[in-house]
Amino acid sequence: MFSDTVVVIGGGPGGLRAAHGIAGTGNRAVLIEQRDYLGGTPVAEKYSGLTPRGEPAAPQIQHLVDSVTADPLTEVRLGTEVVALDGEPGAFTVTLRRAQGSGAEAVGDQTVECGAVVIATGFGHFDPSRATQMYGYFEFPDVITQAELELMLSEHRVLRPSNGQPPERICFVQCVGSRDRQIGNEYCSKVCCGVASKEAIEIRQLLPSSKVFIFYIDMRTYGYWENEIYWPAQEQHHVQYVKGLITEVLPKGDRLLVRGEDTTMGRPMEVLMDLVVLSVGMEPSTGTRDLAKLLGVRQNKYGFIEATGAPLDPVSTNREGVFACGAALGPADLEDTVSSAAGAALKAVGYLRPRPVATAKA
Amino acid sequence: MPSAGRKVPPVVVEKERAMVASTISGREVELPAMWNRMFEPRVLTDYGPDGFAAISALPGGESLEWCYGCGKCVAVCPVDMVGDYGPRKIHRKVQAGTQLQAHAGLWLCTTCGNCLRVCPKQVDMTAVMPAVRETALDGAGVPAELQDIFEKTFRYGNALGQAQRRRAQWADRAGVPVRVMAKDPRPVDVLFYVEDYWSFHPRGQDAARAFARVASALGIDWAILGAEERTIGDSQRLAGEKGLFDAMADDVTAVLARYEFARIVTPDPHAFNAMLREYPRRGHTFDVLHYTQLLAPLRGQIRWAKELPLKVTFHDPCYLGRQNGEYDAPRALLEAIPGVELLEMGRCRDNAYCCGGGGGGMWLDSFSGDHMTERLSERRVREAAQTGADVLAVCCPYEVPRFADAAKSTGYEDLRVCDIVELIDEAMAGGAGREGVTGG
Repeated sequence: MFSDTVVVIGGGPGGLRAAHGIAGTGNRAVLIEQRDYLGGTPVAEKYSGLTPRGEPAAPQIQHLVDSVTADPLTEVRLGTEVVALDGEPGAFTVTLRRAQGSGAEAVGDQTVECGAVVIATGFGHFDPSRATQMYGYFEFPDVITQAELELMLSEHRVLRPSNGQPPERICFVQCVGSRDRQIGNEYCSKVCCGVASKEAIEIRQLLPSSKVFIFYIDMRTYGYWENEIYWPAQEQHHVQYVKGLITEVLPKGDRLLVRGEDTTMGRPMEVLMDLVVLSVGMEPSTGTRDLAKLLGVRQNKYGFIEATGAPLDPVSTNREGVFACGAALGPADLEDTVSSAAGAALKAVGYLRPRPVATAKA
Repeated sequence: MPSAGRKVPPVVVEKERAMVASTISGREVELPAMWNRMFEPRVLTDYGPDGFAAISALPGGESLEWCYGCGKCVAVCPVDMVGDYGPRKIHRKVQAGTQLQAHAGLWLCTTCGNCLRVCPKQVDMTAVMPAVRETALDGAGVPAELQDIFEKTFRYGNALGQAQRRRAQWADRAGVPVRVMAKDPRPVDVLFYVEDYWSFHPRGQDAARAFARVASALGIDWAILGAEERTIGDSQRLAGEKGLFDAMADDVTAVLARYEFARIVTPDPHAFNAMLREYPRRGHTFDVLHYTQLLAPLRGQIRWAKELPLKVTFHDPCYLGRQNGEYDAPRALLEAIPGVELLEMGRCRDNAYCCGGGGGGMWLDSFSGDHMTERLSERRVREAAQTGADVLAVCCPYEVPRFADAAKSTGYEDLRVCDIVELIDEAMAGGAGREGVTGG
C-alpha cells in the first residue's frame, strides 16, 4: 500500500509552487503553514513589487495561492505546524499541531500519511542590530531596512520616519549581514543588489526630485538582473552607484552623515542623507532551523538545510524521502525558489508509486 | 629638448592656481600647484546626478552616466599612458561634482575611440566630449591656441590661416598637370579633396605632389577644387565647434553641387569620416574613398621602377582604421612596393595608438603638454623605432608633421616619416626626381 500524498511544509512561493507541481502530476499535496494565511514572506512583509520586473507583488502571489487552493488535489492546513515525522520513505507519518499564536481553535494532534516531504520554510531577514558597523539602526529612526522600505513602497509613500517628510536624499548600504566572517554569514545573499536597485527605481518614480545612492562592494545583479534592473536604474532612473561601503552613520542636525571610503577615487567620503536603507541579507528562518532539527536533516554551518547531492541534485537532503527547496537551502530569489520547488516536487512524487522492476536492457 | 640650437631644460608648468586671502590684511596671495593642492578638500562630501543630467541633456552626451566603473577604457586610453585621464575617471569626477566644462580633461581627449572599442556599456566619449566642449565655447574655457584655429577656420576656410587662393599652389611643382574644376568644369571620375595639410603644409604638399604623379601615371581621371576648396572641419567639430562645422558643410556642399563627379577621394581620414558619417545625416551623400582605397585595387597596374630596400612600420590613423574599419588598403599598398618589408607595431590596427592629433589635439600641443609626460606622437615614435623600422609610414595628413617633430624630439632622427604615397612615388621613380622636379 503506497501513499498518494506529499506533505509540503511552508506556504510561501516555494511551498505553493511545490504543492501545485505535485497536484499537477495527479497526486495529492497537503500544504502545512504555521501562519493563518498563504503567500509567505512576500505577503507577511508586504512586498511592493517583485524583483526583477517590479510587477505588484500582491496579485502575483495571490495568483499562485489561487492555483493551489482551487486545485481539488491540494489540501491546505493553515495555523498548523509539524511536530514529528515517523516511518519510512514512501510511508511517512507526519504529526501536526495547531501553531502557537494561531487564531485557530486548539485541537489534539493530527496525523497525515504521506510518501515524501518537501521543506519550504524559507528565510528570515538579517537583524541589523547585529551588524559590526555602526549603522545606528535602533538609534536613528531614519535608518531602516529594505523590508521596511518595501512596506512604505507598497503603500506608495516614502517618508522619513523621524518627521514624516519625504526624503530628498536616500542611500542604500549593501551587504549588511552578508559576506561577513565576523558575523558568521560569509555567503552573498544574492538578491539584495537587485532588490536595492528595484527599490531605488520605485523611489525615483515616486519622488522624482529625490537623489538615490547605492553604496556597494560589488554589484551582484547576476544573469538578466544586470540588464533588467541594474542598467535601467543607472541609465534611465539616474540612481547613483558608488563603489565603497558606508562604515558608520552619524547624526548631523536632523540629517544623517554617512561615512566610508570611495574606493575608486581613493578618498574618504562623508555625505548627508535623509534616509539610510540597510540592504540586509538572508538567514535561515526560525522555521527552517527548527524543522531541520525536528526532521533530522543536516544543516550547513549557516543553519540552512544542506543539499547533499548538490550541485546536480540541489533538492535532496540526507534523509531519504525528504526534500527541500527555495531559501530553506540558502539565499534564493523567487526564480530560484520556484525552480527548486518544482524540482523537489518531482523528486517527491517519485516516492508515491511502487517502482517498476528494472528489466535488463537488450 | 633642443630649441633653436640650444639645450633647453624641460619646464614644469603647474596649471592649478588658487588665491588665498589673508584674514588680517585682506591681501590675496597666489598659491601655485603643490601648495594649493594641500588646500584641496580630500574628503568627498557629495555625489549626485546633476552633473550627468546636464551632460545627458546634450545630444551625444547621454552615455557618460552609463559607466559602471570597470576601467577597461583607462587601460587603452592613449592619454592616460602619458598622463592622468580616462573616461572612467571623468565619470567619477562628474559624479563627485566636478564641472567638466571647467576641467582640463575636457580638452585632452583626442576622440581616438579606443575606449569605446572596449567599453561594455558603450559609453561614447567621441560623442560626449564634442557635446560638452560645445557648451564650453561660450566661456573662457577654450584653450587660446584652439580658439585661434577656430577663428582661422572661420575667417580663411582652413586651419592654417592661409590665403585660399594659394590652395592649389602645391600643384605647380608636381611635374604633372593637375586639373582644377573651376577652370575645366567637365565631369570627372575622381574629385580629389586635398584638405588643409596637403594643401598648405610643406611636407603635406610633398605628399600631394607624389599623389598627383601616381594618379597621373595610373591614368586616373581626377581633378581638384583649388581655391574653391574649404576644409571639411571634422576635427573642429570634435573639438566642440559643431556650428562652425555645419557652416563649413553648407559652403562645401554648395561648391560640390556645381560639379559632376563620380567619387570623392581624400587623403584626410578626418574629412573621410565626416563625408562618410556626418554628411549623410545632413542630407548629403557622396561616394567617398580614402586615397589608399582608391589606389589599393590599382596596385597591380603600377609600373615599379626600383626596389626600396626598407623596413617600414605603419601607423593606423584613428579615423581611417578604428573609426571606419579600413586597415587593409594601406597595408596592401605598402606590401606591393618592391623591397618593402612591413613590420607591425605591438599596438596596431584596431588597437593602434593615437598620434594625438584628432579631436582638436592637433592644435593643443602646448595645452596638452602641461598635462602629459610626453606627447602621444613621441610615445608612438618610440613604439615605431622599437620595431627596427627605417620608415614610419602614415596616411593621414596630420601625421607627417607630428611624427617628424616627435622623431626629432625623442632623438630618433634616423627614423624617416613619410606618407605611403611618397614611398609609392619614389618606387615609381617619380620620387627620385622629387627635388629635381621643376616648377610646371
